[in-house]
Amino acid sequence: MSASVSSDSLRQFSRGIAGALLVAAVWELCARGLDLPAYVLPSVSSILAGLASDAGSLLAAARFTAAESFTGYAIGCLAGMTAAVLVTMIPSARSVVVPLATAINSVPVVAYSPLVLLWFGIGMASKIVMVAIAVSFTIFLSTIAGLDRVDRKSVDLIRSFGADRFTVLWRLRLPTALPLVIAGMRVSTVRSVIVAIVTEMLGAYGGLGWVIYQAVLQVDFVKVWAAIIVASAISLAFFGAISFVERRYVFWR
Amino acid sequence: MTLVDRDFQGAAGDAGTKDLASVQDTAGAERPLIELRQVSKTFGTVKALQDLEVSIRPGELVTVVGPSGCGKSTLFNILAGLEEPDPGNILRLKGVSSAASDLLGKVSFMPQRDLLLPWRNVIDNAILALEIEGMPRAEARKLAMDMLPEFGLAGFEAQYPNQLSGGMRQRVALMRTFLFKRDLMLLDEPFGALDALTRTMMQRWLLDVWQKHKRTVLFITHDVDEAIFLGDRVLVMTARPGRIKLEQVVELPRPRKANIVTSLEFISLKKTLLEAIEEESMKSFQVAGH
Repeated sequence: MSASVSSDSLRQFSRGIAGALLVAAVWELCARGLDLPAYVLPSVSSILAGLASDAGSLLAAARFTAAESFTGYAIGCLAGMTAAVLVTMIPSARSVVVPLATAINSVPVVAYSPLVLLWFGIGMASKIVMVAIAVSFTIFLSTIAGLDRVDRKSVDLIRSFGADRFTVLWRLRLPTALPLVIAGMRVSTVRSVIVAIVTEMLGAYGGLGWVIYQAVLQVDFVKVWAAIIVASAISLAFFGAISFVERRYVFWR
Repeated sequence: MTLVDRDFQGAAGDAGTKDLASVQDTAGAERPLIELRQVSKTFGTVKALQDLEVSIRPGELVTVVGPSGCGKSTLFNILAGLEEPDPGNILRLKGVSSAASDLLGKVSFMPQRDLLLPWRNVIDNAILALEIEGMPRAEARKLAMDMLPEFGLAGFEAQYPNQLSGGMRQRVALMRTFLFKRDLMLLDEPFGALDALTRTMMQRWLLDVWQKHKRTVLFITHDVDEAIFLGDRVLVMTARPGRIKLEQVVELPRPRKANIVTSLEFISLKKTLLEAIEEESMKSFQVAGH
């Protein structure tokens, strides 16, 4: 069974690669054949050349952005889950906190970024805070939804075995919530990279968003594209890692 | 009240005595494991149970039948300690007056659905109650492993619930209930969702296991055949508010073979019980249709 699964995923993987190569080929043909200027669409080969020549600075920027995203993500996940568990354990807090969280979450988080930049400066801290805010609300809401999915009859059963509230939480509620929590975590990976880059564009000393912003000012569109490709790679890798964890630990769905 | 008491006294071998207390004095070993007197339960405006009287002796297998919505599940929830009856009730566990909540963790309870945890494999689902009691995992697993063959689950210990058939899932749930060793086992329609063939197999198997382990069982069912086939006594509940309408002692010899269901004795028991249930079903039907 595991052999067939791995050959399936191998086929999927090779199809993905083939698709990407096809897109790159069409892109290259269009850019060269129509002789498009670089600010419209630079050719793939020139972007690759740009990636190679700027590798050092792009890598440094990527590391910067990745550090902000991961740190913010980790803080956001922890904060969101903790808050969700607390709110579930204290029902009276719930009717206040959940509508508030939904309201805050419905505004694009980026709207808060000027304020956060003002409060936390234009270093890494402001990006981490922004990412943490964005991630924590998503995780908070998906954890709440997950914890609510628990079957009352299951709670009764486990109580009849003599379980107290914390045992019910640990043995039943949290595992029941896990599929939704991890699904929220998976979606949040991409969100965290986006928020980090956008906030960098609004004011930063480094990172891919800052590189993109500077390159636009210098009319260096090859570099813009190179940075975008690096950002996509970070996002994809992050998404892939969490998807892997999800498949591994939420095997029962 | 009368039916329950009469049987109780008969069993105590002191049929002439009318006074319950004196029966208890002379009964000795036959003292009921659990005893409910004047138990009522009201939910808002709905009276689910009214003056319910049940007593179960150690080692008995008592089955409960009744029309749907007669408060069987409420009775179970009270016995499992999940729900408190209205004040003024008498609830005695081994002769000691108790609140329903005192029963939490003292009764092994199996609900209608198997409620297996999908992230735990067969063995870890079976030991859930033991783990909550604080037994080390390795020890609990060992206990459960030794029990697997008896439950027809040998070789399946590492499977997850979504890989099992309905009958197997139910056996895992029963094993979980059996491993949680308590004086009273409450089984709420455990075979209700199974197909007829699997169900009869499971009934025979349950009798085997019950006889071997000498456990006291209260078994809820919709199925009169099942109630007679399994029970030492069958309790018929009335339509809401639930009381015990009829208590039928089943004197079919044990071990019971599958073909016992065609014996005259079985059929006459079934006739009596069906008539009683029919009467109550009509009542609840009329109330509902009113």
